[in-house]
Amino acid sequence: MSLAGLEMVFFLPAVLLLHWAGPRHRHWQNGVLAAASALFYFTWSPRLLWLLAVAIGISFGAGWWLNSLPLEGLSGPEADSRRRNRRLIATGAVLAEVAILGVFKYAGFFTNSLSSVLDALGIPVSWPVLHLALPLGISYTTLIQVGYLLEVYWERTPACRDPLAYGVFVAFFPQLIAGPIARAREQLPQYQEARRPTSDAVAAGSREFLVGFTLKAFVADWAAPHLVDPVFQSPLSFGAGAAWAGLLGYAVQLFGDFAGYSLMALGVGRLFGIVLPVNFRHPYLSRSLAEFWRRWHISLNTWLFDYLFAPLTTGRSWFRGKTGPAFLLVFLVSGLWHGPTWTYVLWGGLHGVALWVHHAWDETFKGLCRRDRAWVARRRSRPYLLASFALTQVFFLFTLIPFRAPDLGVAGDLVRAMAGGGAGGALPDGLGFQGAAALAFFLAYHVAESRPGQWAIGRFDRLPAPVRGIAYGLWVVFLAIYVPLGAATFIYGQF
Amino acid sequence: MDRTELRRRIIDWLDDQYHFGEAEQKIGGDDASFLDRGILDSLGFVALIVWLEDLLHLTIDRKNINRENFDSMNKILDYVQQRLAGGQA
Repeated sequence: MSLAGLEMVFFLPAVLLLHWAGPRHRHWQNGVLAAASALFYFTWSPRLLWLLAVAIGISFGAGWWLNSLPLEGLSGPEADSRRRNRRLIATGAVLAEVAILGVFKYAGFFTNSLSSVLDALGIPVSWPVLHLALPLGISYTTLIQVGYLLEVYWERTPACRDPLAYGVFVAFFPQLIAGPIARAREQLPQYQEARRPTSDAVAAGSREFLVGFTLKAFVADWAAPHLVDPVFQSPLSFGAGAAWAGLLGYAVQLFGDFAGYSLMALGVGRLFGIVLPVNFRHPYLSRSLAEFWRRWHISLNTWLFDYLFAPLTTGRSWFRGKTGPAFLLVFLVSGLWHGPTWTYVLWGGLHGVALWVHHAWDETFKGLCRRDRAWVARRRSRPYLLASFALTQVFFLFTLIPFRAPDLGVAGDLVRAMAGGGAGGALPDGLGFQGAAALAFFLAYHVAESRPGQWAIGRFDRLPAPVRGIAYGLWVVFLAIYVPLGAATFIYGQF
Repeated sequence: MDRTELRRRIIDWLDDQYHFGEAEQKIGGDDASFLDRGILDSLGFVALIVWLEDLLHLTIDRKNINRENFDSMNKILDYVQQRLAGGQA
C-alpha cells in the first residue's frame, strides 16, 4: 500500500472517518492512527512489525529513563555521576537503534566489502551472506528516534510519556515510505493533544495531496519508463541526445518522485490535523550548492546538520571550526544512508568535496570583499548569479549519474554516451501528449514560485469556491485518465 | 566585556564574515530575528557559537543553542551576560 496507490482511495477515507467521527480525544485519534500505521506497515513488511515495535520500545523507554534523571539542581560529584548515567543510557539506546539499522541494511554491504578487501590481499574468506528483508522506512524511523533521544538527552525537549502518541510520532503512515523525518520539538506536541478539523487545513491538505500526486504519479512515473530506464539499462546503445535526455529525465523523475510523495505525505498529515515538516523548497532554483541542500530533502539535511555537523564543528574534537572536513564526513554519511553501495558513497563524497570547495571559495571571496567593497556588488550581479546557478545545477545533474547507475561501469558508459561515444540510437518512445503535459507541469510547478506565479495562484484562490471546485474536479478526472494504475515505484522508499 | 563592547564586537564579526560594512543597517534593530532577516543562516549560527566560545572562553551547552538564545542581538547579549554573570551553561 502507498499514498499513490489505488488502495488509498478506500483506506484514507475510512481512516479519516474513524479519526474524526469518534470521540475527540487524543487517545482515540492516536489509536486510530496507530492501527492504520500498523496496517500500512504490515502490507509492506508483515514479518517485521515486531522489529518496529521493539525499536520504538527502546527509544521510548530510554527517553522516559533520561527524563527521570534530571540534571537541574545538582552540582559537584552528584551531577557528574548523573551526567555519566545519562550519557550511558543515551549512548546505549542510540547504539541499539543504529545496530538495528546496521544489521538489516548494511550487514551484507560490509561483509561483502570486507571479503573483497581480504580477497585482494590474498586472504580468501567464505562466510554466510545475510539476505535480510529491509524493513519499511527503517532509515527514516531510525533517524526520527535517534533525533528524539538526542533532544531528550540534551534536555532540549521533554520525554514523551504517552506511548501511543510516541508510536504515531515515529511511524505515522504517510511518512513511513519516504519521510519527511519528523522532529520531536515540532511534531510530538501535535500528538499529545486532541486535534480539531478545520476547513483551511482540509483545503490546504487536499491541494498539497493533489499537487504531490501529480508530481509523483503523472510526472515521475511517466519519466521513468520513457526517458530514464532505457538509457540507464544500456547507455552505449544511445546517441548523445538520448543519453542527455535520460539523465535530465532522471533529474525530473527523482524530484517528482520524492518531492511529490513528500507533498502527498504533508497533505495527508494536514487532513488529520498534523503539520509535517516541509521537505522540498524548489531546489532546482538554487544558486549555490549550500542553498541546494537547504532546499532538497530538508528534513534529512537539517537532521544531519543538527545532530552531526553542528556537534562536530562546535564540539571539542578535531573537527571544531573545520567546516570543510565536516561537510565531507556528513555527506559520506548521507551517501551511505541513501543505500549500502559504493556508488552512493561516491555520490556523497562528491557532494562533500564540492561543498568543501564551495566553502573555500566563499572564504576567498570574503577576503576580496574585505579589501574592496566592489566585490560585494560583483557577487550580487546578474552574471555572477547566473553562473552560480548553472554551475550548481550542472554539478548536481552530473552527480546523479553514480546515484542512479547500478554500478560504476554503467556510470562510465553513460558519460561516454553523453560525449557521443554510444551507438547513436534514439529513445524508443517520443514525448507524446502525456510527456509534454508532464514536463509542462514540472516547469509550471517551478514557475509558480516566481512573482507572476504567486500572483496567478493568489488570483485562483480568490475565485468563487464552485469555480475552484470544478477546476480541481477536472484536474482529478485528467489524472484518472492519464495516470497508469499500479505502475508506481518509490525511489526514496528503497532507502 | 560590557554589553556595549560585546555588541560592537558582534557587529564587527558580522561585517567581517558576512555583511562587509552593512551589518548595523541590515540587522534592523536589536530585537529583530537574525534568521528571518537573513543575517545568519544555520552555518552562520554554528560559526557564531564557535567564535563566541573562543572569544569569551566559555562553553555553550547544547540545550542552550536555540533561537530563544541566539536569534537576535538582544537575545545573544542577554544570554552571554547571564553566562558571564555565572548563570546556567
